[in-house]
Amino acid sequence: MTDTLPPQADLPDGSAAASRPPGPRLPLIPGPIETAGLLWRRLRRMSTALMLLFGLSVATLLATFIPQEPVIASTVRLWRDGTEGPGETVARVFDALSLFDVFGSWWFAALTVLLFVSLTGCLIPRWRAFARNVRRPAARGGNLGRLTHHVTFDRPDGDDAAVLDRVDRVFRLYRTQRVTSRGGQAQLAVERGHWRELGSLVFHTSFYLLLIGVTLGAAFSFTGQIDIVEGRSFADTPLGYQSQTAGRLWDTDRHDARVTTIEDFEVTYLDGDNSFVADEFVSTVTFTPTDGGEPVTREIRVNHPTHFEGLTYYQRAFGFAPRITLRSGLDGGELYSTNLILRTDANGLWTARDKISQGSSDPDRPLPQIGIEVFFLPDAEFGPDGGIVFNSPEPNDPRLLVTIYSADDLGLDRPVPVSQLSWPQSAIIDQAMITPGQSVPFASGLFQVEMDTDIAMWTGLQVSHQPYRWLLLTAASLTLMGLVPSLYAYRRRLWVEVHDDHVVLAGVAQHRKSQFVEEFDTLTGRVGDALGTRPRPAPVASPTQTSTPRQTPGSPA
Amino acid sequence: MTTTAALSNTLFNVAFGLYLVAMIAAFFRLAFTRVRADGVQASTTAGQRVGLVGTALVGAGFLVHLGSVVTRAMAAGRVPWGNMYEYGSAIALVVVGAALVLVQRRYPHLMGFIIAGALLMMTTSLLLFTEAGPLVPALESYWLQIHVSAMMFSSSVFIIAFVATALYLVKDRAERKVAMSTAFGGSTVGAAQVTAPPAGESDIVGRVAGDDLEEAEFASPTAQRDALNPLLFPVIPFVVVLTFVLLVWRAPLAAMIAASAVALIGSGVWYAIPHLPPAAKLDNLAYRTTAFAFPLITFGIMCGAIWAEEAWGRYWGWDPKETGSFVTWTLYAAYLHSRSTHGWRGRRAAWVGVVAFAALMITYYAVNLFVVGLHSYAGV
Ligand code: HEM
Repeated sequence: MTDTLPPQADLPDGSAAASRPPGPRLPLIPGPIETAGLLWRRLRRMSTALMLLFGLSVATLLATFIPQEPVIASTVRLWRDGTEGPGETVARVFDALSLFDVFGSWWFAALTVLLFVSLTGCLIPRWRAFARNVRRPAARGGNLGRLTHHVTFDRPDGDDAAVLDRVDRVFRLYRTQRVTSRGGQAQLAVERGHWRELGSLVFHTSFYLLLIGVTLGAAFSFTGQIDIVEGRSFADTPLGYQSQTAGRLWDTDRHDARVTTIEDFEVTYLDGDNSFVADEFVSTVTFTPTDGGEPVTREIRVNHPTHFEGLTYYQRAFGFAPRITLRSGLDGGELYSTNLILRTDANGLWTARDKISQGSSDPDRPLPQIGIEVFFLPDAEFGPDGGIVFNSPEPNDPRLLVTIYSADDLGLDRPVPVSQLSWPQSAIIDQAMITPGQSVPFASGLFQVEMDTDIAMWTGLQVSHQPYRWLLLTAASLTLMGLVPSLYAYRRRLWVEVHDDHVVLAGVAQHRKSQFVEEFDTLTGRVGDALGTRPRPAPVASPTQTSTPRQTPGSPA
Repeated sequence: MTTTAALSNTLFNVAFGLYLVAMIAAFFRLAFTRVRADGVQASTTAGQRVGLVGTALVGAGFLVHLGSVVTRAMAAGRVPWGNMYEYGSAIALVVVGAALVLVQRRYPHLMGFIIAGALLMMTTSLLLFTEAGPLVPALESYWLQIHVSAMMFSSSVFIIAFVATALYLVKDRAERKVAMSTAFGGSTVGAAQVTAPPAGESDIVGRVAGDDLEEAEFASPTAQRDALNPLLFPVIPFVVVLTFVLLVWRAPLAAMIAASAVALIGSGVWYAIPHLPPAAKLDNLAYRTTAFAFPLITFGIMCGAIWAEEAWGRYWGWDPKETGSFVTWTLYAAYLHSRSTHGWRGRRAAWVGVVAFAALMITYYAVNLFVVGLHSYAGV
């Protein structure tokens, strides 16, 4: 069970030594083939596999404590700026070593490849040896009396075969074979525990399947995100999502332009102390297939995604989306009207920022840029110290603080989401608190700002296509199914040998030797029962032999 | 707070007290046990009585603790390991339960150390106390419950494995030092000692020939203890725990108390060296518990991936908690490997086990408490 590798000399590629030229031994500079052979043999060593596993752990440990760009890009930006973390210089070193994206780095890929090469190198000879061993029937044993575990019974009546027939039943679940020992005695050779090696092989081999599943799944996957207001629809097209990631082999023709309509969004909150914690949020959506099929209405909840024709829909986020309208103070004409997607910060305050006018840098008719910023309080009041006291997360007493900004450059033409901009105080042209249904004059009546009575909600959905999940599940099941026997099946070999006046039962344990003591006792009892005789008392010398065999520390026992 | 929740908290405190007394009783028994050179241990009558009381107390503590966890589940209306307080309490419960089944009869002298581990776990979970309450919807999932349960049970068994591993490292060192010194002392006993590790339990008696026995009896019991520097035993755990608690919680007082407690336990280990089971048995216990917990943690991680897929639409995102559990898993796989690798068996493998346990603890505490990721809202 220890080193399962065959001795080096047996390796078919052990040609380095053979190709050495005759004559005086000069220090040999290995050629490319020798080097490759050497490396291959090195990779197949158990200690190499161990080192690779350590390497994998160290890499992952680093990734636990260094923020990873694909996970939290914002923190990584702060580390690079030096505003957070160990400083700019260290961040530059991290960048050079790809430590902000360990799992996307070339060296992590190299480590994985090496691990799999090493795995291959281990597994091929192990599978071969296993195939050989299972086909080989249990082999005969010699010198049974010298094994640590052996007992002698009186011989019952009947010829050799009849005696062995009696014990067959005891070893029903084992692999057995009738053989003749070297001394010419009839012997029943018994063997069990091939499950251990098979389990271990299945376990290790399942990693290839896992790798294939992960690779294929990633290559053909698509994930899109959309934040959308109740009542609206979006189409499944390549440009239909606010953000998306797709695998290399994702075929954009698979977007079938189906229309998804958000019929309704509902959120309920917990009671009592947790009244600000959302208990459940549900989007009710209708899918309208493009091929003329019937529309289908479904609910999407947290932890309960909905599958519809190859795509999976997840409930991801939600928020308020009050409708704000800006009218001209002169003629009441609508200048701007939208449902603002409000997001909440940790304090329970909902905010949004949006562009009203892009302005114009035309020298003849320059126009300033105009932006709007809102703070939404669903149900809150101002405390005596000016702080905000939130009563409820639900819009029982909705109020909106609207600020209009105007300046030549608010950054609205930059390719940055408006929500990430920040505008100077000096650009404020007016500010007012409004309530639903109210229309408030701004900038001395230049505009009217209104909020609709009905406060709409928006829902954040994730739409994914994730093929080959079944491969991953199969691989995971194989991993487990292999792992358990590889740790819990024990290899044992036993023999029953018929002599002229006695019968010997002897056994050897390759694993978990301490437990074999009891197992052997039980078997002794059962063989004795089957033979109908009692074991003979052990000879005087044997106590030392039959006592608990010593364990070498480290051997799986 | 409901009365059931209050009852749960009371039961927790009572269990804590019972464990504390049980631990002291276990060490007391140890102090009243004499070890002969051949490994036979004889407790004085007082020691035996205290030992019995100790056993009864652990059993009672376990039942009370079970009551605390069950009432907590009733108060919260869900599985009782939904936040870090509950998780820590449940882990301690399983540690004690598993120890009662696996360790109590065969290695009674290990109980004190295992209870100490459970007490530390309960203390940290008290620091993270949260009122009983329902979970946010992302945490209400079938797979999540299986995932957390599997992680909890495997972590508990890994704690026992760690106790065995750490004690193995100590005992093994003591055994080797004694064997060396007797070997170089030039007596014939030395030779016997080198080849034969000290026998363990009372059922294996009389392996050493009569006249050797006298001398060995004289040398062995305290020799193992004296072979190791008693200063290191309180100091190393003190430093490790102090640093860890300071880093994670930044609470100097709690750090000092926790570090002093482990320092005390460390000294206890030094005192207990001759009473510990032979190194080979400790190693065996460590392996068997790890081999039990490893498939469980593998299964747990898989369920976590299935849950992540349901909740967030991706089965694996290298979020810090996921990354941490992957490190832990790889290191335990490395431990299992190192036991089958030439030149790694025994001590080196045990060190890999210690490192793997450190990774488990870091993933559990440090990542929950100060690294941000999707998982962090599950935590505190
Ligand atoms: C993908 C990473 C790997 C993982 C997670 C892994 C995990 C495991 C586990 C859990 C065991 C069971 C330990 C036992 O039976 O006592 C094991 C056994 C074994 N592994 Fe791996 N392994 C990996 C890669 C490899 C590689 C690359 C090799 C080749 C050198 C290898 C060779 C072996 C051998 C020979 C055994 C049997 C040891 C025995 O029966 O005692 N493994 N592995």
